[in-house]
Amino acid sequence: MTPAIEMKGITKDFASTRVRANDHVDFSVEPGEVHALVGENGAGKTTLMSILYGLIKPDSGEIFIDSQKIRIDHPNDAIQHGIGMVHQHFKLVPSFTVAQNILLGMEPTQAGLLNQQQENELVAALAEKYNLPVDPTARVRDLPVGMQQRVEILKVLERKAKILILDEPTAVLTPQEVNELVTVIRGLSRLGYTVIFITHKLVEVMSVADRVSVMRGGKMIGTKKVSETSIPELARMMVGREVLLRVKKKEMQRGDVVLEARDISISDVNGLAAISHVSFQVHRGEIVGIAGVSGNGQTELVEAISGMNSLDGGEILFKGKIIDEASVGERRDMGMAHIPEDRMVVGLNLQTTLDENLIVSRYDDSQFSRYGFLLMKTISEFAEKVVRAFSIAAARPGEGIATLSGGNLQKVVVGRELSGDPAFIIANQPTRGLDVGSIEFVHKTLVEERDKGAGILLVSVELDEVMALSDRILVLYRGRIQGELDAATATEEEVGILMAGGNLQDLKYAQRADQQELRS
Amino acid sequence: MEGLFSVFTVELLNSGIRLATPILLAALGGAICNQAGVLNLALESKMLLGAFVGILAAYYLGNSYGGLLVAMVAGGLLGLLFAFLYHKYKVDLVILAIAFNLIIVELTVFVMRALFGNVGSWSDPSIVRIPDIEIPFIKDIPLLGPILSGYNIIVYFSWFAVIVMFIYLYRMPGGRHLRAVGENKSAAETVGINAILLQTLALVVSGALAALGGAFLSIGHLKLFTRNMSNGRGWIAIAAAMFGVNHPVGVFLASLFFGFADAFSVRVQNVTELPPNLVKLLPNVATLLVLIIIALRTKVALSMARRRFRAQLRAEEAAKPAEEPV
Amino acid sequence: MNNQRWKKLLDAILVPVLAVLSGLVVMGILILTLNKPVLESYAILFSNGFGCKEYGNCIFLTTLERATPLILTGLSAVVAFRSGMFSIGQEGQYLLGAAAAAWLGYAIHLPPILHAPVLLIAGMLVGAAYGWFPGVLRVKLGVNELLSTIMLNSIAALIVEYLVQFPMRADTSAVAHSPVIDESAQLMSFFPGSKWGVGFVLAVIAVIVVYIYLWRTKSGYEQRMAGQSRRFALFGGILSDRAAIRAMLISGALAGLAGAIEVMGVHRRIMTGFSVGLGFDGLTTAILGQVHPFGVFIVAILFSGLKLGAQIGLQLNLNIPRELGGTIIGFIILFVAAGKLYEENIVRAREWATRRRSSRLKRESG
Repeated sequence: MTPAIEMKGITKDFASTRVRANDHVDFSVEPGEVHALVGENGAGKTTLMSILYGLIKPDSGEIFIDSQKIRIDHPNDAIQHGIGMVHQHFKLVPSFTVAQNILLGMEPTQAGLLNQQQENELVAALAEKYNLPVDPTARVRDLPVGMQQRVEILKVLERKAKILILDEPTAVLTPQEVNELVTVIRGLSRLGYTVIFITHKLVEVMSVADRVSVMRGGKMIGTKKVSETSIPELARMMVGREVLLRVKKKEMQRGDVVLEARDISISDVNGLAAISHVSFQVHRGEIVGIAGVSGNGQTELVEAISGMNSLDGGEILFKGKIIDEASVGERRDMGMAHIPEDRMVVGLNLQTTLDENLIVSRYDDSQFSRYGFLLMKTISEFAEKVVRAFSIAAARPGEGIATLSGGNLQKVVVGRELSGDPAFIIANQPTRGLDVGSIEFVHKTLVEERDKGAGILLVSVELDEVMALSDRILVLYRGRIQGELDAATATEEEVGILMAGGNLQDLKYAQRADQQELRS
Repeated sequence: MEGLFSVFTVELLNSGIRLATPILLAALGGAICNQAGVLNLALESKMLLGAFVGILAAYYLGNSYGGLLVAMVAGGLLGLLFAFLYHKYKVDLVILAIAFNLIIVELTVFVMRALFGNVGSWSDPSIVRIPDIEIPFIKDIPLLGPILSGYNIIVYFSWFAVIVMFIYLYRMPGGRHLRAVGENKSAAETVGINAILLQTLALVVSGALAALGGAFLSIGHLKLFTRNMSNGRGWIAIAAAMFGVNHPVGVFLASLFFGFADAFSVRVQNVTELPPNLVKLLPNVATLLVLIIIALRTKVALSMARRRFRAQLRAEEAAKPAEEPV
Repeated sequence: MNNQRWKKLLDAILVPVLAVLSGLVVMGILILTLNKPVLESYAILFSNGFGCKEYGNCIFLTTLERATPLILTGLSAVVAFRSGMFSIGQEGQYLLGAAAAAWLGYAIHLPPILHAPVLLIAGMLVGAAYGWFPGVLRVKLGVNELLSTIMLNSIAALIVEYLVQFPMRADTSAVAHSPVIDESAQLMSFFPGSKWGVGFVLAVIAVIVVYIYLWRTKSGYEQRMAGQSRRFALFGGILSDRAAIRAMLISGALAGLAGAIEVMGVHRRIMTGFSVGLGFDGLTTAILGQVHPFGVFIVAILFSGLKLGAQIGLQLNLNIPRELGGTIIGFIILFVAAGKLYEENIVRAREWATRRRSSRLKRESG
């Protein structure tokens, strides 16, 4: 059979971030199949699909549709070739009705005027044809997310797409909505449509896809038939690393409980549960790793503990005190440090100097300010001290940091957070996007803090990192703790299964049951 | 007594409608820009440009209607310049507006003085004020006739513009695309709508309408040009556009509100002790309230999601003891 | 190290300087169209805007006097912008501050040592209150501060117009104005026949205080961090909302102070048409002055000099309409806003220079 789509040797470098997002990627999709494209955040799957849809121009590579070489410079070209895309962030106009959104840019007219009635009928007929019921007259802003997604799918179908790209379609859906979506995708596949399904949730892959391609670090790792693979194998392909990092650790000296979460729940912006009923403890002198595929509630959990967002239920105790009402500053004064996931926007202010970045969490200390005035000299001395202690080669006190490399920027963050001898450290993806040398530095530093007696909560989507650093591993799946493992005895496979939403006791049964539940 | 009262009302309505016209034209321009997502704070300068260019062209052409056309073209070209600088050089629209508000207020007087000597305002006997037109039949309708008839062409045009803009924005594909661009540009662009073209159109139309509003002041109403003739009407127009939630009909009503408040404040001065300035405050305060209500609506919608989630949690908690025995 | 600092300063002022030069070129073109001598015009403009004929008869002193309210409204915009608030409410705060000072100037009678400070403080308090309101609307409800301050500007203008025409009106002369304020409330001027005086000194002090506040105090640090990156501020434990409201209070106080000084030092009363768009001029000085107190100081003097030079130099000597000054300022703002245009060319020029240098090096080594 000739493939519906074939992409050959696709390469794309992003000059601004010096990242090779796609590295000679080959990718092919059979007509009428549901093809899952999986990989971690930053693996390059969205870049690859954006190239196919004409949103990004590749540096090199070729695209074939039905064996014919084509050029796609603009989404309009993609639409002409029958490719449609449902974006992760919907491209809808909230105040418009369902019908107006679906027909946007291709409205039928009579004597130049729109006909609302006719539009509604057209959309009703379309919905009927694909068995995707919607109310054409409802305003999109009043619809639940799952229904908005349906509108997006209908919009693509109305544009005569034969190939549908769905970018992380389940990220925003409730479990019931996910089940409905799976049914919709199966139905479309039966009607002869080709569906490319971008995701990092492996259970969904198993339940909906015919074949699956795995990407990692901008490279295509391989393509498998779903019937001939398993979640553990896919998990290994997804998170495996060429270089296994080994970290030397001393025996753990476990102290008192420093942080405790009691039955906490947090909602996301849509009012859906991001974290539900999670409880755990972190002791002094131990590293607790939170493993999980990204988007399973890590961000919300970290923001709630650090005080950047509020809790909806339960309580958090720090050094034995309930801190639900405490501000970020108060928590930091009590000895909490935070290495955030996004150092460019959250962890640092690239528009200002090194000094001002280094004092953000403790400019209030009597060491750095008196009578409301900043003590410029001590601040500058402090900056020099941090630069020396953490050997941040390129940084100079009093100067900007915008031109520093990722590794040096992370050293600035780590240097600031660890220089106050914190009792508890949240480290959220502390090595994301760093080179091997910088990764080693961060790991070594975290272990030193643990040995000095700090409690550390390490959140990471890198399985290796969690395995190598943690004393205890909690696996987060869909906002719940799927399981707890002792790092000394846990295997990568066990963690991988929990990360995919599986169960340790009866691994195989659970997998099948999950699939059946989703299919029905 | 009753007769006197009715004359007073009709005259008030007439002058209110006249005073509303320049505001309405500029506000329609502001509304279409807001709908297209390009904040236009330069209505003031576009009005002033129209007032000046209009009277100048009327003088040199010897035809006041020609003056109106030239004013609109000038305003449209200024809008085009805005669109070019905005799209090509990513110039901030707010700063651009501030710069032009300053340039036009000074440059118009500069040119006036360069041409006609050191004068504070300028007029020429040869310039003809745009004449008022009585509409046959309509003028004979009792009560409504004197209210709807007897204005110059600019007033009628402004009403016509309300209807055309309503049809364009809400009954034609182009207008719907324009609104889509304003609300979610990337959504419009992914379905192949040319957002830059539509935003340029909005800026050009807005410039032409605001300039016509300005020309109403110089050759439709007074027959002279003075320094800073628009005198803040462009800013009132921005308020009217917001107050009328950028809908042509809403903008029409909002502009009438401002116009009547203006006319009323003049009358009030003659008849009562009530200070006119305070009457003029009314529409401004109302606009501020509208801004607050619009913001509140978004804020409530955002916090609702979270409140729902918390209520759900509490409900679960309450249900728990009942489930436990099972 | 020192070299670096110079380079940074050069980067900061390159675009404004180019914009000013471009504005002067536009001026030359406009003068050319009037068939007036271009070079002579430049000379007259500068000698009349920034010159000094003899001791005690300095036009430059008038320039400094005119720059005083501009400096303060400019600082007001700087403080607001540096907290991430795009407030253009200086006009309204300036007017209300002026009205408060004018009223207290004739309504109460105090010894000189008290009267003037009371007026200055009253102007600042009223301005601060009028800045606080849009700040709270923004922080608590998310009301766009740009739009709300536009509304508040026209509301303030109407209120002040009412006050001047009715309760504060002194007599029935054609232009409504308030009574003259007590002598005890007037700000001293340094030379007879000139109004350049204590007000300017206050403005200079304000420049220094604002600089110290923004870059040397905890509060200034908080508001700058919040203005540059709210996420970063939240992460670090800075209360951005509080910092923004504080910034709006200070911004309003500075604009109110400008109004009070203009009443106490220049007009000695308030009248209809008191503002002539000074609030917006403050905004433009802030933008051209790179949102920095020192930049504002220089630009405000430059602007008033240009205006004054056009008014008394060009108009009286060469019969060129004085509006040329304001026009040029408008064009300078336009050129700053279109700074990308220069930046593209600067980058291109630099690339070209490095390419030449490296190719020369290659030639020499090869």
